[in-house]
Amino acid sequence: MSAMTRHEPFIFATAQYDSGDWDSAPMVAANVVDAIARYTTIPVVPQGVVVPLASEAAFQYPLLFFTGHLPVRFSQREASVLRRYLQRGGLLFVDDHNHDVDGAFHKTVREEIARVAGKLAPLPNSHPLYRAFFVFDRGPPTTSHEMNGWGDNLVHEQLDAVLQDGRITVLYSSKDYSSEWSYHPDNKRFLAVDNTKFAVNVVVYALTR
Amino acid sequence: MTSPDSVLAAVARVRRRLTFVLLARVVLQSVGLGLGAWLLSNMILSERLAAGVSPLVMAVGTLCLAVISAGVLARRCGFVSALRAALWIEEHHESGYALVTWVEQSQHADPPTARLAQVVEQASRASLARAHHILPSFARSQIAGPLLFSAGASVLMWFAIRGTTFSALDGLVVTVGPAARDARRPTPVGAWDVRVTPPAYTGLPTVRLGNVASVRALSGSRLDVVGRDAIPDSVRVRVLADSASDNRALPLTATGSGWQGTISATAAPLELRVWRDRFARLLLVEGTADSIPRVSLIAPARDSVLRSAEGMVLLEASVHDDLGLARASFEVVISSGDGERFTVRAVQAGARSLDGARDGVLRTTLDLRALQLHPGDVVHLRAIARDAHPAADREAGTSDTRSIRIARQSEYDSLAVEPAPPPEVDQSLLSQRMLLMLTERLVQRRSRLTSSAVNVESSRLARDQARLRQAVGDAVFQRLTGEASGEHAHFAGDGHDHGIESMGGKLALTGTNVQGVLAEGDDAPVVAINKPLLEAYNAMWDAGRALEQSEPHAAIPFMRQALEAIERARAASRLYLRGRPPVVIIDLAKVRMTGKDVGAPGVRAVRAPLPVPAIAREARLLSAAALTTTNSAAARDSLAVLRLESLKDAPAFAEALSAVLDAFARGAGADVTAPFLRARRALGGVARVPSVAWSRGSPP
Repeated sequence: MSAMTRHEPFIFATAQYDSGDWDSAPMVAANVVDAIARYTTIPVVPQGVVVPLASEAAFQYPLLFFTGHLPVRFSQREASVLRRYLQRGGLLFVDDHNHDVDGAFHKTVREEIARVAGKLAPLPNSHPLYRAFFVFDRGPPTTSHEMNGWGDNLVHEQLDAVLQDGRITVLYSSKDYSSEWSYHPDNKRFLAVDNTKFAVNVVVYALTR
Repeated sequence: MTSPDSVLAAVARVRRRLTFVLLARVVLQSVGLGLGAWLLSNMILSERLAAGVSPLVMAVGTLCLAVISAGVLARRCGFVSALRAALWIEEHHESGYALVTWVEQSQHADPPTARLAQVVEQASRASLARAHHILPSFARSQIAGPLLFSAGASVLMWFAIRGTTFSALDGLVVTVGPAARDARRPTPVGAWDVRVTPPAYTGLPTVRLGNVASVRALSGSRLDVVGRDAIPDSVRVRVLADSASDNRALPLTATGSGWQGTISATAAPLELRVWRDRFARLLLVEGTADSIPRVSLIAPARDSVLRSAEGMVLLEASVHDDLGLARASFEVVISSGDGERFTVRAVQAGARSLDGARDGVLRTTLDLRALQLHPGDVVHLRAIARDAHPAADREAGTSDTRSIRIARQSEYDSLAVEPAPPPEVDQSLLSQRMLLMLTERLVQRRSRLTSSAVNVESSRLARDQARLRQAVGDAVFQRLTGEASGEHAHFAGDGHDHGIESMGGKLALTGTNVQGVLAEGDDAPVVAINKPLLEAYNAMWDAGRALEQSEPHAAIPFMRQALEAIERARAASRLYLRGRPPVVIIDLAKVRMTGKDVGAPGVRAVRAPLPVPAIAREARLLSAAALTTTNSAAARDSLAVLRLESLKDAPAFAEALSAVLDAFARGAGADVTAPFLRARRALGGVARVPSVAWSRGSPP
């Protein structure tokens, strides 16, 4: 990613796509940026950006956050850009805002990912992602939205991923981090345990692998 | 040996035996060198050169080499004279040079004295006896090496000619092969006939391509390679796009008149190397994938937001496939709900079987009322087409997705939601321009018309102008209030405030909204877009009134004003279908490293550098170019393999190589320099642009 080779600060980018509601979790970017600043010395831009998936501007960002509730259908242009983005070393972090394996987002976006990047497969909880910064011995942290019975009423034990030469190119979550992290960062002071620490692992992994 | 003459005779005998030994050595060395050269030429010379040389020429060449070697060696050994023989004898047994002196004196014909003869006879007796004694061992030592050398070379040549290979000789002896039982000339692979049978689902017939060097076939096709000569030694198959795959042997079956091999074309290019003797012949198979159907959604042409879930939506799509379509349909996915609660249902519409047609049109209508949509629901539409490929995981061709959203009532209070870009405004724009042109034409013709004709035509224009004004009024009130028409009673203080009021037929902003901006808490939304529309509405009113009074010239300025206002309104149209997310900017200085938990970054992985296939390809391209002048067939084969290997990741280079191969195909006299240069440029990503006429510099 060119932005990183120039030693420019990390920019958290949310992918904008034509179908569906790409902006369903508008506070995630601020919360992830806050977590990076709170726990690491990684230079970071204080505000996230939105980058159209149909634009080659996406190549400037090592990590793209992708979420939504509604059916996802990539246009040809979006599929082409995403395919090249992943080939060039980018990491797409997809989170199902429905946290529902029977949901439209889950079904459609997995179809589209399979078409563009390959089939998603369960990511072992021993993967280096879970030790990239903080150590998550039991795999991805559980979200409150999994616990409260919404969506598919499941606590997902693993994340899914598409690997390319041992590196994660697409990370897929049914755990609804979009809801879990979509609050104002100032409210972190009310939390006993910061639930955005896993975002730091994802960012560090994207920057170092 | 009791006289001086007998001494000379003994030296002469030694001389003859020495000469024989040296000559035998020279002959054996020459034979060995000749046979060795023949074997080396078999192993080292290129196949083409070896194939072009007949066995007779090889034999003559070998003989000539042996004769020349013999001459050189004989010259090097020199002539064995009587004096040299005497010296050799003296070398092996000292006799005070009496023997040498005696031979030398006898050659000068000086009469020896009796005393001298007696001394020589006594002195040389022991030396001559010693010479006769060591001559056999000397002969063995001189001849043994050359004899072994020539015998070894003879044995190797015998093995080579017989076509027998010993394991210990593998690699040293090049087997001529059973096909060349005449032990003289290897036989290259002859002509073959390639037959391509496409997969059964395509319904395409078998095609005979004949004696070709490359085949382009649909992936999954069966290729039969049928030869009419002796069965080749082996056929190796290699996947060109996969460097990890090694060669595998293709089994051949003998037929009545030749041989046959069968292989399936894959998506990756294949190389068949058919070996016989030293010769290999290439058959390159370029597998082409059965492309998935291409689907284009024609209608609806764009995403829309509808006020109500009523009416029929025309769905139309065009479908195309390279081989044949099986079926196609529209997929309709309806998502309902908001926030965290969504439900999705999917229905299929307009399904039809296309029975192998390559092109088709899919058309149906969608009854929105039948879908039982509610405000906030989103209908996602796309067309799907499948071909006849039997694979279970075969991908279907899909079109872009269009969405039709049913607007919520509440959205009109907070967002400028449009039922698609406003068609009323665009229609008005066109019609207003037409009305203006008609009015201007009426003004030009007015002097030639009667007064009543002007009145009739002006009245007709006034009615059209009134209809347009009403349409614009509807658009204004839809934007403001959601009501269908704006031409009902609106006046200040009627308790029905929409932010505008009717004053003498014209519309005006109310006093609280003169800026055209919605104040917080105000339930009468007026956005800036409405101001030019109101202006257009009022200008139309004035224009219509002038036309009703048969004063078209007075209507023209108002009509132009209306047209200009509509254009401004059109340019001002903006759709904000989603709310703006709150902007949060993190105070990094305040937050930095304030977290309670401490993490540690893992070891940074070093990514392997990306392979640079272009470098290797350039080397191969240059090698092939160098080979062009000496062995154009080999150069052509190399380029063909290189082209197939580059198809996937360097299509421009592969295309440039196709041009080079085309140049080869034009014949021996064709100049391939320019295509080679273009291929090298394509490999390096260099794009040449023609210089323009005004440029005085050289092109880049």
